[in-house]
Amino acid sequence: MTKIFLLINNEANSQIEDILSDKNNELMKAQGELEDILTQIHHFCPDIILVENNLENCEFIIRQIKSIAKNQNTQIIFLLHENVKTDILNLADGLVEFPLKKEVLLSTINSHFKIKKSLDRLYDNNKELSKSLYQLNVLYNTSSQFAGTLNTSKLYEIMIEAMEKTLSFDISSVLIFNQFSKPILYLNTIHTPSENLIDALKIRSILNYKTMFENTTLPHDKDFDEIEVIQKTKQSRSNKIYSIDSLSYDSLFAPIKVGDEFFGVVELFRQIPYTAEDVTCFQAITHQVALPLRSAKLYEEISSTNKKLEKLERIKSEFVSIVSHELRTPLTPINNSLEIVLSNQAGEIPPEAQNFIIMAKRNIQRLSGIIEDLLDLSRIQTGKLDLKYKLVDITPSLELLQKTFLQVAQEKNITINLEIKQKLPEIYADLRRIEQIFSNLVSNSLKFTPQDGTINVVAEVVLSNEIDKTKLISPYIDLKGEYIKISVQDNGIGIKEDDIPKIFDKFSQIETSLNRNKGGVGLGLTITKQLIDSHFGAIWVESEEKKGSVFNVILPLCDDFKIFEMDLSHALIASGNVGILKINYNKRIELIELLKEQKLLNITRLSKEILFDKDERKEYWAYIPKISISSFDAIYRTIEDFCIKISNDESDIILSKAHSEKDGIEVSKIINILNS
Amino acid sequence: MKKILIVDDEKDIVETLSFMLKAKGFECICAYDGEEGLNLAKNSNPDLVILDVMMPKINGYKICRLLKFDNKYKNIPIIMITARSQDEDKLIGEETGADEYITKPFEFSDVLEKISKYLKQNETV
Repeated sequence: MTKIFLLINNEANSQIEDILSDKNNELMKAQGELEDILTQIHHFCPDIILVENNLENCEFIIRQIKSIAKNQNTQIIFLLHENVKTDILNLADGLVEFPLKKEVLLSTINSHFKIKKSLDRLYDNNKELSKSLYQLNVLYNTSSQFAGTLNTSKLYEIMIEAMEKTLSFDISSVLIFNQFSKPILYLNTIHTPSENLIDALKIRSILNYKTMFENTTLPHDKDFDEIEVIQKTKQSRSNKIYSIDSLSYDSLFAPIKVGDEFFGVVELFRQIPYTAEDVTCFQAITHQVALPLRSAKLYEEISSTNKKLEKLERIKSEFVSIVSHELRTPLTPINNSLEIVLSNQAGEIPPEAQNFIIMAKRNIQRLSGIIEDLLDLSRIQTGKLDLKYKLVDITPSLELLQKTFLQVAQEKNITINLEIKQKLPEIYADLRRIEQIFSNLVSNSLKFTPQDGTINVVAEVVLSNEIDKTKLISPYIDLKGEYIKISVQDNGIGIKEDDIPKIFDKFSQIETSLNRNKGGVGLGLTITKQLIDSHFGAIWVESEEKKGSVFNVILPLCDDFKIFEMDLSHALIASGNVGILKINYNKRIELIELLKEQKLLNITRLSKEILFDKDERKEYWAYIPKISISSFDAIYRTIEDFCIKISNDESDIILSKAHSEKDGIEVSKIINILNS
Repeated sequence: MKKILIVDDEKDIVETLSFMLKAKGFECICAYDGEEGLNLAKNSNPDLVILDVMMPKINGYKICRLLKFDNKYKNIPIIMITARSQDEDKLIGEETGADEYITKPFEFSDVLEKISKYLKQNETV
């Protein structure tokens, strides 16, 4: 059927009607005033309009018609009177001249009808395409929005907004379940919903949800009277109200879930039916939101765990300070009182009593040793162990060992031999801690070596390839270069091979073979291992049950780079601190490259002035121990004071860990000012 | 007789310490909080001060700093008693100008050794 609208004078009318009267043509003739004509065209939606060019206002009418989107493809055919001048031919799609020839007119109409139909199809396809494109666009934006937040309710907002844009719903009903609170029904509507409709949607959403889990247990056992409604109406001022009949609109339904994790259900209602593309788009959105929801849920869980952990950490450090202060303080007068009694200055005491007092004194020393161990361990674990590396010769410390343990060894008639195979080079270490390592190992051996036994302490220099890496307690360490190796051998009770890694665990003494009466809380070896680790060394144990054990420790000999690495990691381990490092000018560029490579430092935070504009004559390797924030607070009341101090030290690099960014930046700024 | 000022809020520590020091021939004056300690340090002319860190009113570090940054008193040797023995505490002490450190619980012989670095002992018991 071809719809033809006639915009012609009466004279031509009968002839044209004659030509066009055919059952395949539907004709309509313009009648009345200008506005009437436009209305007629609007309702008729013609495929073709025949216009006589001598008609008054015809230009205006045609322009009006063409400006309406749905008439854009309507074909305009002019019927031309030769004697009438016309300058609107550019508006025409086709021309037929008077006098009219039937065949010419019919074939023109026919071909333009075909054009019209093709254009219509093109237009429809185009519309579909641009809609799909728009939906895709929204989906794309939505997915990046989804990725940008870990806030659950924000995610739902984004989802609803995306559906509103792409699926233009009348009513959207999103039921969300929450682990800790009431289920929430997000109702988003264009016009105001009636009370009845809200109740109906509540029931409907919960029914939808329950139907989904008909044959299994519900992930959340909630009912509709528990639902909290959050309602938003777009055009709340309009008079239109959605009644309960809106439920008969075309609807789309989907659950929001990923894997077994279920978050809620979505249902959309729209008066105009949804297309297949709409369904795909809907599914894409509801599917897309589920993944970030799961991340958000995990994030919420992690942050609440984190808060708990932070609290625990605080309690722990409070505990440590109580241990250190409150336990040690009363020990002091106990110890002093015993000393006074022992010195006979408070009166003579009988020899039997003296023995008991000596026993009490010895146990106080043990107790303070345990407190010290506990504190060390806690410092190591919280990264607060303050190591002061220096180039040191450890030979005197080894020699001191014999003296320190002489008395205890004599009690059990144990011989302690020291063999230093060659002159030991200096190592870069905290000597006090190195001594602690040795004395822990020797006292450990003393504990488990029987009467009349022997302990040999052997020191030598070894190459990394002489070390059997598989035996190391922490085998992942990267061994290179030369090491000092110190072995403590005893002929004590030995350790079962399976038990060897366990002895470095906290509070462990191998219950079966080593009973509790050997004393100690089992922290010595844990601390020893940690101290060795922080010196970039390693430890391993060779042992045979009932024959004895050898504890081997290796500590690296340091070249400049190693020293730098140690300083750096030391400064970085102490979290939240501002560390200061002096470096050799000649090597600093290499070092900075090294830093960048290892991502140890955010180089951008170091200002060039600090790095390069220093006195080039200075060449030294020196390390100023970092100043921790706590002491920073105590000594330097302000960052300015602190900066003056480090500026006077002429440090080259100021290190700061990422989360103390503010301090780091501020310090570097002020130092720049001071330097200029 | 050399005069030693002991400042500690732990009365038992003050008592045992002063007992032993008196036995070794020192004169002891005692204070039980920071404020009193600072007053005595300034007004009673001690030859040496033994100072606890954690104290009510004014803490030991502050007293130390106040004395060491005052030309009138900066020559009085100060021995700090700390319960923490942490290196950083020592560092703070060094910055505040304390001369020596002892860690709780301490051996009396250690205290005596450190005092003797600064005071010629008067061995008349």
